[in-house]
Amino acid sequence: MSALETSAIVSPRASADRRVEVKGLSKSFQLAKTTIEAVRDVTFDVRRGEFVALLGPSGSGKSTVLNMIASLIRPTGGEILIDGRRVVAGKATPNVGYVFQRDTLFPWRTVGDNIGYGLELSGVPASERKARIAECVAQAGLKGFEHAYPSALSGGMRQRAALMRTLIVEPQILLMDEPFGALDTHTKIDMHEVLLRIWEREQQTVLFVTHDLGEALTLADRIILFSARPGRIKDMFTVDFDRPRDAVKVRETPHYAELFQHIWHSLGEEFVKGRST
Amino acid sequence: MKRYGTLGTVGWQILICAVVLSVWQWGYDLRTKLPWLVPDLLDPYFISKPSMIFDNFLIQSCLTSKLGAFNGWFNGEFGKCLARNENNLWAATAITLKNTFFGFVTGVVSGFAAGLILGRSDRLSAIFQPFITAVNSIPRIALAPIIVLAFGIGDMSKIVTSWIVVVFLVFFNTFEGARSIDEGFTNAARLLGASEWQITRTVVIPSTMAWVFASLTPAISFALIGVIVGEFIGAERGIGRLIIESEARGEASGMMVAVVVLMLVGVVLSAIIWRLQAYLLRWQRQRSAE
Repeated sequence: MSALETSAIVSPRASADRRVEVKGLSKSFQLAKTTIEAVRDVTFDVRRGEFVALLGPSGSGKSTVLNMIASLIRPTGGEILIDGRRVVAGKATPNVGYVFQRDTLFPWRTVGDNIGYGLELSGVPASERKARIAECVAQAGLKGFEHAYPSALSGGMRQRAALMRTLIVEPQILLMDEPFGALDTHTKIDMHEVLLRIWEREQQTVLFVTHDLGEALTLADRIILFSARPGRIKDMFTVDFDRPRDAVKVRETPHYAELFQHIWHSLGEEFVKGRST
Repeated sequence: MKRYGTLGTVGWQILICAVVLSVWQWGYDLRTKLPWLVPDLLDPYFISKPSMIFDNFLIQSCLTSKLGAFNGWFNGEFGKCLARNENNLWAATAITLKNTFFGFVTGVVSGFAAGLILGRSDRLSAIFQPFITAVNSIPRIALAPIIVLAFGIGDMSKIVTSWIVVVFLVFFNTFEGARSIDEGFTNAARLLGASEWQITRTVVIPSTMAWVFASLTPAISFALIGVIVGEFIGAERGIGRLIIESEARGEASGMMVAVVVLMLVGVVLSAIIWRLQAYLLRWQRQRSAE
């Protein structure tokens, strides 16, 4: 009995706990006649419900890694498993939501129709769709803008609508590629609040790409630091602030300053290297 | 804001019309006094006069008799006049409009479909590219006599001529539109679980629409040109036929009536397209509040 229990605990649970497994991933691009190595031998796991930030200077391949996990780019080497199943490039993985750096709201659809797009694709009846859109619109603070076209919205509002378009289909894994990169500082912190509240409730597994250390510390459980090109994992840090977190107050704690300083130095080196290549 | 002086835009437009029409109407009369000022081209024999064109319009449309008396609506004179001439102005306009419509619709639908398919398939566009370039290099109007020979002097040849000038225009615009779709949109749709067909329907077609509409206003003029050329070459009815008949009689005002009617038809058709575009592409008009 006890032997059975141990075996049941050791292997299956360990793998069931790992939602995303990245194994020896690498990617090279052909640009004109030179080969550019963007990502070299990247290996890491993400646990169920974990919020992981991929941090690094631009050109460190962190977005490339995310896009390979999202099936948008075909890796040159290595493999990615989501819930134990291999990711095939060009084929969307169910349960995986993606939020783009640039909001990709469809300009020809109203905000409400953009948010409801995913439900429309899977054939959810109009009445149910309407109710769920209304819920998401309220959550994103976009009440009164359902019938406006995206071009009439500010950058922050557009990004909130884009976030809701991804979240309405309730993905369990959320991939985010510098989603708040184009926003001003205040709007950004507002968005952190929105995201933290949603994540605390839904407990999705999140992979969040950013070059902003403050953002990574505010949001993540763990930071994976990427080196300058070719992108490799340089270091990993555990961020152990209490949950639920307050996006503003967490920045005022001494522990935040301590962690910030610790990672800042390491990140700074990579920014300098990235500039010289 | 710029100031446009005391005359508004409409004021200038009215003034320009008045000047052009006056010169047209009375310019040639000045020839007796100032022969060096007035070119031969102003001779009403060639270009008629607004008043003569108007009189001729009333006669051709059976509103007045050839003597200038109004045909009564209820005594049947109007109807008898129409019946006497099966290519009266009304019938001619109707037949030309009908053929323009069919040429335009078939041209737009087939050009759009072909543009979409080739625009979304690198392989097909690579295969067909040289043929399309070659056929597109033919001045389409040069094919009109062949088309009339092949399809006869009835409506079919006019529709085919019209179709052939419209289809390429719409095809190239749709093709460019389908090629230049923002990859972010297709990726976003794909990651939300859209199938290829759903991507085509919800992303490719709407974002290509702006390109298609850019081609529709010229396409409607081209459709009209195609029909008129077809009618020049061989037809029993239609506005193009009216022009040829008036030319044979050396009757400038008759030709001018047909030209004015064509102008009005063209304006009305363009206005319809413009309204349709304003509605279907309404999302383009709202600009950022920032």
